[in-house]
Amino acid sequence: MTNHIGYICLTAALAVSLYGVVAPHLGVTRNNWNLVRSAQFATILNLGFVFAASVALMRAFLTDDFSVSFVFQNSSVDLPVMYKIAAFWGGMDGSLLFWELVLALLSAVVAYRYQRSNREVIPYVIVTLSIIHVFLLGLLVTYSNPLATQYPIPDNGRGLNPLLQHPAMAAHPPMLYLGYIAFSIPFAFAMGSLLRGKLDNEWVVTTRRWTLFAWFFLTVGQMLGGQWAYEELGWGGYWAWDPVENAAFMPWLTGTAFLHSVMLQEKRNMMKVWNMTLIIVTFGLSILGTFIVRSGVLNSVHAFAQSEIGPAFLIFIAIVLVLAFTLMFRRIKLLESRHTADTLLSKESTFLLNNLLFIGIAFTVFLGTVFPLVAEAVRGTKLSVQAPFFNTIIAPLGIGLLGLVGVCTLIAWRHSSASYLIRNFRWPVAAAAVVLAAAALLGVRHGGALTVFAVGSFTAAVLFMDFGRAVAVRHRQGGGSWPSSAFQTVMRNQQRYGGMVIHLGVVFVFFGLSGNYFRSEHNLTLLPGKPVEVAGYQLLYKGMKVYPEGNATLHAAELELYRDGEFLDTLHPARSFYPTTPEPLTEVAIRRTLAHDFYIALASENEDGSATLRILVNPLVIWAWFGFPLFTAGIALAMLYKPRTLGAPAVEKRLGLAGS
Amino acid sequence: MIRSWKFWLVLAGIAVVVGLFAYGFTVDPKLVQSPLIGKPAPDFTVTRLGGGETLHLAELRGTPVILNFWASWCVACRDEAALLEKAHRRYGLESGDVRVIGIAIQDRPEAARAFAERYGKTYFLALDGEAGDIALNYGLYGVPETFFIDRDGVIHHKQVGPVTWEGLVTQVNAMAGQQQAKR
Repeated sequence: MTNHIGYICLTAALAVSLYGVVAPHLGVTRNNWNLVRSAQFATILNLGFVFAASVALMRAFLTDDFSVSFVFQNSSVDLPVMYKIAAFWGGMDGSLLFWELVLALLSAVVAYRYQRSNREVIPYVIVTLSIIHVFLLGLLVTYSNPLATQYPIPDNGRGLNPLLQHPAMAAHPPMLYLGYIAFSIPFAFAMGSLLRGKLDNEWVVTTRRWTLFAWFFLTVGQMLGGQWAYEELGWGGYWAWDPVENAAFMPWLTGTAFLHSVMLQEKRNMMKVWNMTLIIVTFGLSILGTFIVRSGVLNSVHAFAQSEIGPAFLIFIAIVLVLAFTLMFRRIKLLESRHTADTLLSKESTFLLNNLLFIGIAFTVFLGTVFPLVAEAVRGTKLSVQAPFFNTIIAPLGIGLLGLVGVCTLIAWRHSSASYLIRNFRWPVAAAAVVLAAAALLGVRHGGALTVFAVGSFTAAVLFMDFGRAVAVRHRQGGGSWPSSAFQTVMRNQQRYGGMVIHLGVVFVFFGLSGNYFRSEHNLTLLPGKPVEVAGYQLLYKGMKVYPEGNATLHAAELELYRDGEFLDTLHPARSFYPTTPEPLTEVAIRRTLAHDFYIALASENEDGSATLRILVNPLVIWAWFGFPLFTAGIALAMLYKPRTLGAPAVEKRLGLAGS
Repeated sequence: MIRSWKFWLVLAGIAVVVGLFAYGFTVDPKLVQSPLIGKPAPDFTVTRLGGGETLHLAELRGTPVILNFWASWCVACRDEAALLEKAHRRYGLESGDVRVIGIAIQDRPEAARAFAERYGKTYFLALDGEAGDIALNYGLYGVPETFFIDRDGVIHHKQVGPVTWEGLVTQVNAMAGQQQAKR
């Protein structure tokens, strides 16, 4: 019964969304603001309906209602409650509903929040968002209804794919979704501005924090995905240039480029066409990401999520891109900007270079991802593009970006002189040289790793120096204590120092990634009671233990880890057997230290009582996770900053840039 | 009408990308051609599951071999179990034309035996070594994968994913026909 009501709610939501497509435009042409208000209300009502449908599905999961075939396929009686909740987005239909729910929430926030401001574009923002709603709800009530019921009712479900039963899996998809979907808001504002022909900088300023929000969740979502792959797939890495990883990475790249290049529009009124292009592409790539994950068009580790709605997504992407670009080119006269970068040595040109590098990386990823399709279409050969292709091209571009963070921080807007740069870069370059020498003395020999260390320490030094100087100035002028000067400095320019904290996080992430240059792998078979020496550790295999955990049975090897005869830890790499799937899963054991992760996967337990292990020593991995709290803190800081909701000319006047 | 050439360039770009993905629907991404086709099948020696008999692949020269990789934990392997057994009865026992061999990878002997019993497999089954040497030599992506090895011990065809009856018959006939043509 509830399931049918849930379905009716979805149809009602579709009707309400169709109203949201039509009413605002009528309101504008007939100059009837009440119609626009009613569409804003409809957007909020839409959330109510979608929320009700989601509650119905969640109820079905929590009460093991296997009359709902989606629940039957993705859950089982013995599934822990946390994963019953996560199973909501574990399959196609549910994740589509989840997507719609999040978009409905964000749309309702937009409709509520901008009742008085942005009056000119908001009707068309609502139209754009409603079109996306119509697409998603149209799929939900036809091809992929998560509340569809079946008869007879089975006693038990098929169970959630055990690979998805990992804490990170409960959080990784929602985070990624939030990121993807939040980019719909800047996109909707961009389209609203185009449709209305109001192409000042208002949409950029209004959506600044939405963009930061989207970026944050896309970043966190991907880090959690890496965490999941690292702990659950058992091959010892966190990133494999799998098509689905690439699909999530591409909108992140263009979104990050957008995040930077809108600052040029905000501060210098430049790059308007470019920003419009970037947000269209980012939104298009967000949908493409879902399309690649869900359609099975490319071979991937995420093949568990395939479905038949790929063609619908593809058509939607095509329509969105064609309409958006047609609109943009119709308004192109209004978008052409008067400013260009004045000289090569200016902050503007570092932003341009930043965008060039991000787009270069995005293009490389795109090419590597679709190349198997190209090769097959053109030559008829099957092939796959592997990690070396991506690493060879992207590593240098990425290191270039890392260095650019440092250069950009110190260089001035509009014009910098060479002597100014030399004076400012003296100390950071010295810091880089010291780190380089120290690393070389400590035995790091790999050129790639040394480059990352040097460039990273240069950038970190710049960031600290820049901050230190600002604090010193405030301390001299304000006379407060050092900590209060530091606090005031940060609070006076939250955007700048939020960015600084994030960039520091980026340095950490690169430091962690550089460990990939010198990781080592060992495959061993251990007999009980016989210690083995591996990578400077001694490993003693005590025997196999079998015990239940959650709804799985674990076969765990008990291992004692020693270094120089001193006991460190007991580790339990295991294979887990789930009742609903005959395939055993690898549960890795990891001992994390600042220097490296000691990573053990149990390959097999053998008849003679021995255990075969795959051991990886992954240097510096933990440092990449340290980027995570810094991203969080930096974004929180940057979100405190309230962009001025003024038109561009006023901003320019205030910054003393008018007429420049 | 928009005159800008850039606009048409963008539209063309969209058309190419969308066309490419639309084309992607018509092909199966899993069918990566194995570089082993036309090469001699890597040799191995295995002991029959449950003990006893050993089998040395090189000694089967002269008889085409259907070499199936499977595992008790593999869902698709259940679907094809009956077909492989049928092929074994039709081409192996009755006419003696073909040898069917199943190698279980990453499996435990007791689980593999239970699986074989449940699906009534009577053809030669064995476990891959602890290190998975045979699977590595054949460049396996996963299970099931099936190799068709001709009389000369050369890999004739590789099937990724479960076999179909039509596919089995086609490959067996192709291997037989190829032989007749050579004679």
